[in-house]
Amino acid sequence: MVSEAMIEMYQVFKTYPSQISALSDINLEILSGEFTFIAGPSGSGKSTLLRILSCSERPTSGEIVVHGMHITQPGFKKIYQLRRTMGIVSQDFKLLKDRTVNENVALALEVTGHTRKEAKSKASDMLGRVGLGEREEDSILALSAGEQQRVAIARALVNSPPLVLADEPTGNLDARMTLDIMEIFTDLHQSGTTIVFATQFTGLVKRFPYRVIQILDGQILDGRKAGVDQGREVKEGE
Amino acid sequence: MGNLFPNLITIGIIAISMLIFSTFTLLAFNLTNFLKIWEDKIEVIAYLKRGTPSTEVEPLLNKTRLLEGVEIVRYVSPYDAMTFMETKLGRQKNLLEGIQPTVLPPSFEIQLRKDYRNSTGIKEVVARLKEIPQFEEIQYGQEWVETFSVLVHILRLTQWILGGLLLIAIVFITSNTLQLTISSRREEIEVMCWVGASPAFIRIPFYVEGLIQGLLGGGLAILFLFLLHQGFFLYIPPSMQSWLAKIPVLFLPPETIARILLGGMVLGFFGSIVASMRVLKYK
Repeated sequence: MVSEAMIEMYQVFKTYPSQISALSDINLEILSGEFTFIAGPSGSGKSTLLRILSCSERPTSGEIVVHGMHITQPGFKKIYQLRRTMGIVSQDFKLLKDRTVNENVALALEVTGHTRKEAKSKASDMLGRVGLGEREEDSILALSAGEQQRVAIARALVNSPPLVLADEPTGNLDARMTLDIMEIFTDLHQSGTTIVFATQFTGLVKRFPYRVIQILDGQILDGRKAGVDQGREVKEGE
Repeated sequence: MGNLFPNLITIGIIAISMLIFSTFTLLAFNLTNFLKIWEDKIEVIAYLKRGTPSTEVEPLLNKTRLLEGVEIVRYVSPYDAMTFMETKLGRQKNLLEGIQPTVLPPSFEIQLRKDYRNSTGIKEVVARLKEIPQFEEIQYGQEWVETFSVLVHILRLTQWILGGLLLIAIVFITSNTLQLTISSRREEIEVMCWVGASPAFIRIPFYVEGLIQGLLGGGLAILFLFLLHQGFFLYIPPSMQSWLAKIPVLFLPPETIARILLGGMVLGFFGSIVASMRVLKYK
């Protein structure tokens, strides 16, 4: 079964004004429903790549298509529409400390037109699924790092996006919490969500039978556009 | 809650600025009103030349009555004039002892038609009266009318110049406060962008905040002005009270109040637009 491409990147470069090249000639294709690790050491360009995919930054040149949207076209302004098709999880959680757990998750629903009541209810369901059903009225500050990361994941998933971008979501967590988080991502993947997971931990990558794209100094190591060969996922960089 | 104090300061400053503007508006409104009342009561007095034969009075009366803008003409003989002066002087009428009525010139008291009871209309009628050779002098309190008209004009000019500067200040004050608000909520705005909030979803609450600040500022200004207006009557000296009883000192009419409130809202809204353009960038 041939899946559609969820993400396509063609000759993408990102150079900062200080002439530092963050990404160099990135060509890749991630199919719908794939779980892909973007693996590389700190400073290799993983976060830049994810930020470009979410339109938090613009590439210097190149073409990018995400979920059918040509995000590098000059007139592309519907960033908020793109972000509604994706759930974004970052290393620093990006949670609002003056709100409760439920309110943080519900925010993602309120901005898409849900009423407060609907948003609260759906947020509650999602928090139950990530194991935080009993903590929904607590302040964010009362949660551990692992619990906060689960809140961030719940917020990223509450709108059922077809694509999830996760930038080092387990970076600040211990081994046990890391496995808990990975279990959530694995379940998500099995339900058909496309996941792009950036990490610097090769140990984590090796534990899972998912596709790996290795990146170093802003370049993809083997330079090939990845694909799925007769249903077998290609593992790279092992 | 953290933004309550800056917001209250902004509303207070808007209120003071709009109070200054509204005070000028109220002054101009009442002076214009007073001018209209005065113009409505204005009479033109045309003094006949000494020695005008009495046989010429009636034809002259008829001629004057036919002039464009003239409604009523009344002949005041020297004796009528003397009687009038004696009445006005009251107990001091003995000052007129020994003065012959013939010293006073005969005159016509001319009431103008309603549509001519303004500074332009008065001047037109007076110009026509001056063409009649039997009239020695025409009086209508011209200096008073012209001075008063100039005063009202200056007041209105000051109102708009000063008001214009104050209103620009209001836009920047609102903008500055909203910039502070936006900065203090930067994290929340970033997260909202992160989860797919549209630019309108993010901006509209700030626009509403600007509108409300302008409305509350304008409302407070109207309230303070009303209290000043009421206080004015409580503290005027008794000697002025009888004089003021003849002149209505009105408060602003409802449509002007509505315009001031709407103006406040518009300025607050512009302030919020300026703030959001300067610091609210979608990321």
